[in-house]
Amino acid sequence: MSESILHVLILLPIATAAFIVARPAGEAKTVALWGSLISLVLGVVAAFQFDWSNAGAMQPEVSLVPWLPALGLSISVGADGVSMMLVLLTLLLGPICVAASFSSIKHRVKTYYAWLTVLQAAMVGVFVARDILLFYVCFEFTLIPMFVLISIYGSSNRKAAATKFFLYTFTGSILALAGLIYVIWFNATRMPVEAFAGAGEWSFQIDTLRQAAVRMSPTEQGWVFAAMLLGFAVKVPLFPVHTWLPLAHTEAPTAGSVILAGVLLKLGTYGLYRFAIPFTPIAAVDFAPFIGLLAVIGIVFAGLICWVQDDVKKLVAYSSVSHLGFCVLGLFALNTMGQSGSVMYMINHGLSTGALFLLIGMVYERYHTRSMRELGGLAAKMPVWSFFMVFFVMASAGLPGLNGFISEFMCLMGTFQASDTLAGSSIGATPGVLGPVFAILAGTGVVIGAMYLLMMTGKMVWGPLREPKGHDHHNHSELADDLNAREIAVLTPLAVLCLVLGLFPTPVLKGIEAPVNDTVRWVQEHGGLRLYRDPAPARVTELSPAGVVTPELAAPAAGGER
Amino acid sequence: MVSTFASMADFLAPAQASFPEGVGSVTLAHYLFVSVAMFTMGLIGFLTRRNLIIMFLCTEMMFQAAGIALIAFSRFYLHHTGQSFVIFVLTVAAAEAALALALVVLLFRGRESLNADQWHSLKG
Amino acid sequence: MQTTTPQLAETIGALGLGAADTGAALEVATGPAWAMLIPMLPLLGAAIMGVCAIMGVRSKLPAWITVGLLGFSAVLAAAMYAWLPENGRAVSVAWEWINVSWGDEPGQTLKANFGFYIDSLTCLWMLFVTLLATLIALYASEYMSHDLGAGYCRFFAAFNLFVFSMACLVMGDNLLLLFLGWEGVGLCSYLLIGYHYKKHSAVFAAKKAFIVNRIGDLGLLLGVFLTFVHFGTLEYKDLFPMVQPYIEAMRQGAVGDIPAVVQLIPVLLMIGAFGKSAQLPLFVWLPDAMEGPTPVSALIHAATMVTAGVYLIARMYPLFLVSEWALPIVAWVGGLTALVAATIAMAQFDIKRIMAYSTVSQLGFMFCGLAFLSSVGGAFHVVTHAFFKATLFLCCGAVMHGFAGQLDLRKLSGVSFMKGWGIVGIAMFIGCLNLAGFPFTAGYFSKDMILAEAFITPGPGYQFLGVILLLTAGITAYYTFRVFFRVFVGPKQFEPGDELHGHDGHIDDHHEEHGSASRATEADEGHTPGDHEPMGGSVEERGKKTHEHPEHFHPHAPGWAINGVLATLAILSVLAAALYFFPGADKSHKGWAGGMISGSSAALVVGGEADHPTRLAAFVGAEPEQGTLFGQDPHKIMYYVSGVIGFVGIAIAFALHYAGRKESERSAANNLLQVKPIRTAHRWANAKWYVDELYDFALRKPLWAASQIFHLIDKLLIDGLVNLVGYLPRALGKGVRPSQSGVLHSYAAAMAGGLAVILLIVLLLSL
Repeated sequence: MSESILHVLILLPIATAAFIVARPAGEAKTVALWGSLISLVLGVVAAFQFDWSNAGAMQPEVSLVPWLPALGLSISVGADGVSMMLVLLTLLLGPICVAASFSSIKHRVKTYYAWLTVLQAAMVGVFVARDILLFYVCFEFTLIPMFVLISIYGSSNRKAAATKFFLYTFTGSILALAGLIYVIWFNATRMPVEAFAGAGEWSFQIDTLRQAAVRMSPTEQGWVFAAMLLGFAVKVPLFPVHTWLPLAHTEAPTAGSVILAGVLLKLGTYGLYRFAIPFTPIAAVDFAPFIGLLAVIGIVFAGLICWVQDDVKKLVAYSSVSHLGFCVLGLFALNTMGQSGSVMYMINHGLSTGALFLLIGMVYERYHTRSMRELGGLAAKMPVWSFFMVFFVMASAGLPGLNGFISEFMCLMGTFQASDTLAGSSIGATPGVLGPVFAILAGTGVVIGAMYLLMMTGKMVWGPLREPKGHDHHNHSELADDLNAREIAVLTPLAVLCLVLGLFPTPVLKGIEAPVNDTVRWVQEHGGLRLYRDPAPARVTELSPAGVVTPELAAPAAGGER
Repeated sequence: MVSTFASMADFLAPAQASFPEGVGSVTLAHYLFVSVAMFTMGLIGFLTRRNLIIMFLCTEMMFQAAGIALIAFSRFYLHHTGQSFVIFVLTVAAAEAALALALVVLLFRGRESLNADQWHSLKG
Repeated sequence: MQTTTPQLAETIGALGLGAADTGAALEVATGPAWAMLIPMLPLLGAAIMGVCAIMGVRSKLPAWITVGLLGFSAVLAAAMYAWLPENGRAVSVAWEWINVSWGDEPGQTLKANFGFYIDSLTCLWMLFVTLLATLIALYASEYMSHDLGAGYCRFFAAFNLFVFSMACLVMGDNLLLLFLGWEGVGLCSYLLIGYHYKKHSAVFAAKKAFIVNRIGDLGLLLGVFLTFVHFGTLEYKDLFPMVQPYIEAMRQGAVGDIPAVVQLIPVLLMIGAFGKSAQLPLFVWLPDAMEGPTPVSALIHAATMVTAGVYLIARMYPLFLVSEWALPIVAWVGGLTALVAATIAMAQFDIKRIMAYSTVSQLGFMFCGLAFLSSVGGAFHVVTHAFFKATLFLCCGAVMHGFAGQLDLRKLSGVSFMKGWGIVGIAMFIGCLNLAGFPFTAGYFSKDMILAEAFITPGPGYQFLGVILLLTAGITAYYTFRVFFRVFVGPKQFEPGDELHGHDGHIDDHHEEHGSASRATEADEGHTPGDHEPMGGSVEERGKKTHEHPEHFHPHAPGWAINGVLATLAILSVLAAALYFFPGADKSHKGWAGGMISGSSAALVVGGEADHPTRLAAFVGAEPEQGTLFGQDPHKIMYYVSGVIGFVGIAIAFALHYAGRKESERSAANNLLQVKPIRTAHRWANAKWYVDELYDFALRKPLWAASQIFHLIDKLLIDGLVNLVGYLPRALGKGVRPSQSGVLHSYAAAMAGGLAVILLIVLLLSL
């Protein structure tokens, strides 16, 4: 895959945004749609150029556009299998979000579509960044368009929601930045030049820094990990730093919610996957039970909160908290099953929850309420909408045959397997620090998920028709009773993907298997997880007195996973 | 108390040395005294007067006091930095004076007064 | 249990038990590709139904397509049966589904294909599933005909999807595909129970079914996890050989050698089975599931889906055999469920609910059969039950269809003697005889195979359990014929229900629905006819209150489709008895079901060796060598005992509900209710022993309260803390705000003062 196509994927949305600003407002949505469609096509081209047989490696092999060479700054892009999948998800949601906004955005149209497309550039940038600088700039830059989208186009309490969203996630990512800078500093000043290529100089390359970071002492790793965790966990959001999400989701415009749930939350899990875990594997192993606990609490706690919601959008927002708990749990299972499942979860949650937000937005456009007390039994009036609703609810509830199941199953299975206790006697277990107890506790989330999702379906879709008092949709909007062709066209690709990923997930699974295996192997080698056939503890926990020398692993690191 | 002044004297001792390459019997301390005196006068003036123009002139005086000290030290250490810095300060002060006077005129137009107490719109 | 489990181990050892699917390497042939069509045709059908809905088809076309596709599936299932070599097994892989690999060693790859495992157990299940699905689809073509259009398509789409899911469940070659089917049938059950989606009770019942099943599914999922973690595979062909060493250990009585992990697997799996097959404590969803259209109740909630639990245990029988606790738990749960459900059935008035509880009860028998090491009995009862219970349900459905949703046995009488209802009456009679275990009916033979085993299989309290089951058999005979004597014979009298077909209008005409919608919000408790929606049929019928003018109501007798299906099913129910004598593929196992079981994982013998005599004694004439009851062949004794018990039950029903009954409302049983203890017991049983209320009180309400508290914690405490962090700087700013006076001189003084302080500090520090 050529480097330029990745650059284009970042630059094209920016150019589109400039074009939108330059053209009259009436053309904004058309331009935005075409721009995002071209991006999507380019993304598909990139996916075809991508060498899937070598998905574990960053492609292209070398990518370096010097920026400030004196400071070691450069722009460096690349994608492995995981990045590629997430880029594709981002690009897919692009045109969907644009098309979903056609009827709901009436004022300040140019601003809206311009920021929406700029946001896409930032998100793609996060996933293809190979140097921390580009990553961080894009990571933070996503806040600005989102802030604008929420604070201008949101519903009644939008200002507070936008501010909270911005400040909360910004504070978190500043901490993550501190952690990353420490690693950069550590590499430049504490690494002997001969340790590995790029050691001892001011490098921002993720690959280089990863090599340096694992040589930090466990204490340092602990601090760096804590900093990064705080930053990324807010974004995920992990219990208990999740409270910005329901507010932001409820207030955001539909497309904003879709992007937020579909991609922005994944920036957090992606950060954990790409930085927190491989950079500081010892700390990741040490912290895993704690994070697992938070994830499980999040799954159950947020799930039960969903159950008593009245605002259907808030319900779906809380369900995101619950679902992302599975995702984090899978990541910290620190085995292939869990992490693959987690990456799958990122994709699947983007599809199904994104679609749920779209569906809720479509109802909101017609009835201007999201309260389940006022709305209900829409199957009678909106059969097509109801079909999609039930479909995506089932995808979200993890019904086998649809995409949600694959990822939920894999995350739970990974968690279940990741047990040092079982690994001694059972061949299907992997070394790890979570194990069956976490899986069982998280598994109750599956039941709770069915409870609140079916509660929602039971109220919104089934039952006798209930509409808000005095509702006459002809006064409010030009929209038909049921979904129109545009809305169906927006939902259909998501539905098809949900089904395809549920029945034929193999291409995706194989695409992410190699990079995930590499990560897992890396973490297990450097994180001191008990290697399966090595009963001895495999890591030296103390730094040598000099404080500079790398803590080497006691056991040979070549054992691979297990 | 005595010891305090004694050590203060030690602190000022280098200043009492005469300038290198001789400027008669005038020592660095003389210059510094003038500088301090001017600065103090400026400060007192700034604190006690209410007229904007007078206050502005007082700040100018403090500026010049600092300039004198800089030049004196510059000469004392035979180093050009201090003097060149004063040139900068003078330049900036000139520009600033123009700006400040313009502001004062504007303010006067608004309230027909030069009393500084007239303005407190920055109250928190 | 401590003292008895070694006995169980001994027995298994002495009998030479063990799965047939064992051995060093399991020979698995490649199955025929056309076998994959069995699940795929219904899936195609579901897709076609979708197209029909989009195209707005308003004819019976969807039904005919469904019948055709399912019929073809049934033919293929028969072909699969014919193709199957003796004791053979094959796998047809359609495509790779999930494959995650992290190494090359065993246990480092999780593979789950969309592959179909073909052996005799699969064939046994698929034969009756596809056959019944075809027949019931035909029945439904008429039954659902009031709802032509989108609703009709929706019904048949879910119907097709159900058969697909069921086929995946039964034919899947790995536990994960089984799980797909497992949840898939749950989804279809949800969709079909909630078919009348404007009725609160239906929506509630659908939700309840799905969630209760989900609890069971979680157990199953954990069992799947543990299976993979321990054995490193989910595919049957690799799994069963790996269980073999444990079976050997069990045979030698070395229970201690079997890891606790392995013993735990079946316990987890059975939670799933209890959920799907509506056993204690998860049975509460099934009676409510009767909100669905009757064909659905017949197919899903009586004949096929609910037997998935039995299938799971039969399929995973080797694993159940190597656990100390698994089968005894299954036995007791099954036995108690059978009794509890039967007692509830005695006191219900809604005939469909009676049948539902009877299904729960009969499923308990099947579980007992499996637990008593008589998997043949369990499986045979599944087959016979599928046919006669489908017959019974479809008869109830015909009554409901014809009498405007009337299901109350106090409001109907003498239906068989009405014009055009003969076939229904005869079919009902045959079904009732089967369910009551009348001698020489299929139900009689299959039930005996289970009952007798209770007295000869060693296990914790199995003898007592046997007595419970006998008692339950008597109760079953009573409540079955209570329905028959009340509804189908006696003086001709009826009071129609206040709905037509239990349905409330079409999906696409929402003008009518605003009116009816508000009415549906009234009480949704139970299934009493009063809360059924008035259906938007012809104006004439809607216009009158049928309660006041019963004479204007003419029950419409079933048409050819319903009658034809009922006749066929009744005949099949009778013929099922022949399977008992049918030699089957494997002569040594007599009985067709025995032959089917012996070639599968559920078999109790290795390699077709002679079975234990007690098991052979399941067939007439075989002489037992051990395991006797009162010194006799237990099965022989059981023929008489259960026959007598059946007669007694029927006789009591006759005395209480037929003899001397002049009107539909009152019978001799009403006098009994004057006795206080009986009245109290009746009230409790009628209220289903308040199990629903108990769950509501002990589980749902506390959870709901906890959720509300969590919501508050989230809003006030967690978010409050966040807001506090945001508030602190603001508070600080407020504190220092007065220092900004806006007066120029105060700033100047502060600056000068600050300067002085700094100078002083510098000075003092330098001293």
